[in-house]
Formats: sequence, C-alpha cells, structure tokens
Amino acid sequence: MTATTHAPFTISRLLKAPRQLVWDVYSKPEHLMHWFGPKGSTMPHCELDFRTGGTFHYSMKTGEGMELWGMWLLRELVEPEKIVLVQHFSDPQGGVTRNPWAPTWPLYTLSTTTLTEQDGGTLMTLVWAPYEATEEESALFAASHDSMTQGWSGNIDVLEDYLSLLQS
Amino acid sequence: MSDALSTTFAALADPTRRAILARLSLGESSVSDLAQPFAMSAPAITKHLKVLQRAGLISQGRQAQWRPCKLEAQPLREAADWVSQYRQHWEDRLDRLEDYLEILQANPSDTPKEKP
Repeated sequence: MTATTHAPFTISRLLKAPRQLVWDVYSKPEHLMHWFGPKGSTMPHCELDFRTGGTFHYSMKTGEGMELWGMWLLRELVEPEKIVLVQHFSDPQGGVTRNPWAPTWPLYTLSTTTLTEQDGGTLMTLVWAPYEATEEESALFAASHDSMTQGWSGNIDVLEDYLSLLQS
Repeated sequence: MSDALSTTFAALADPTRRAILARLSLGESSVSDLAQPFAMSAPAITKHLKVLQRAGLISQGRQAQWRPCKLEAQPLREAADWVSQYRQHWEDRLDRLEDYLEILQANPSDTPKEKP
C-alpha cells in the first residue's frame, strides 16, 4: 500500500555561489566527498555514475568509526537545475538494507533537489518523501517532520512547561 | 533509533492522538472528558487511547473509579530529541556545503583541501 497523504519534508538554503558550481559539487565525486557526509566523517567509497539511470554507491565513516553504506538511483537530471533520485541504505555489494537506527523507516525515499538562481546566488530546495512505502513507514517518516510544521513543537513546549512544573 | 521509538512515532502520526496528548499535558483526565471535544464515538476514542498506551505515552490509573488517563513524558522526550536531530542532519549538511562552496570560490584553481 502506498500512502501519499503525508506532506514531504522540505528544506531550502540560499547559497552564495553560482548555480553551475552548486551543480558541479553535487555531480562530481571529487567534490561530493568534501561536503556530503556529516562533519568529521570521511568517504572511503565513492562510486558515482552521474547520468539519468545512473547510480551513486558510497560509504561514509563517521568520526566515531561507524561505517554506513548508501545508494542513489538517479532518476531525472536536468542540468543545472534539477536532480531527482531514489535513495536507500545499502551494503558494500550495493544491496538494499534497512535504516540501521529505524527498522520501520521507508526502505526507499525520493528526493527532488531544485537549484534556482536568486539574488546573485543559488536557492537550493530539497523535497524528500517516502517512495513505494507502506503506511507504517510513511507514518514514521511523516511523524518525524510533520510534527514540526503542524504545531507539534508547540505541544512539546507545553509538555516542557508541564515537566518543569512537576519537578518544582 | 529503537523499535520503541518507531512505535512512539506511529502513535504520534495522528492529529486526534496529538490533541489527546496536548489535553493531557494540562493534567489528568477521565476518558469521557477526553472524548468530549471530539465528534467521535467512545469506542473510537478508546482505540486511540490504546495506541497511545501501547506506545507508553499515556497510562491509566487503577485505583480511582474513573481511572484517569495520565501523560507519560519519557517516550515523548525521546521522540522530540530524535525529530530535532533529523532536521539538524540536513542543516549540518547544508552548512558543510556552504563552507565548501566558499573555499572553492576563494581558490578556484586549487584542488580543495579536505576540511574536517
């Protein structure tokens, strides 16, 4: 069953760089390995075939020494403005694996990145949604961010107040 | 993320259940008082309460005749922590991209040095 009623996760940032350069750092392995992982991480494996239908198979080693494998399946590339890809956690052979921290996380997610020229820089917008996910997987994905946009954070504030009241 | 956290998120992924929790954050309440603001049958409300109970988000008293429902804060705390990490992950990645673009533009001819 595919659930499409949940709002996707979105994030955007106005980058002080020409659009072509942003495209390049997204599409070339020698660039990706410098920014893709979390701070302090390295990218021991980086195999990128950047074309529609191509793949990106990578491993990331965190500062704590944990190694994570992932895969992109590139679905639609419109240089220099749009990158659509399906993403999944992976093993060293490129097989599909579950999110190691969340067994009910969607197996596949779809991300659409658009690059728009704005104010002399580039507005990068990422829209991220579950792909071919079960209702349970979609619900988990949605709860992870919906909560922030639908006033749930307000509820958390109320909860915090309540907790401090209890502890006083 | 543990399986318990998945259960918490599944329980939170419903506006009625979030509203019930918000109401309970103001204090204990009986099932009938909880049901009042919703245009829902008692069995429908009970079903929501069971989901919340299974996720450890609420508990129901055994002593008092009216068996008040009570918010259990710990799972909610853990969920809130995880949610903030999730957005933080993307913010961090964009920060790193921004830094990297800055280095590239400062030395366009150089192969950039890895910035840990």
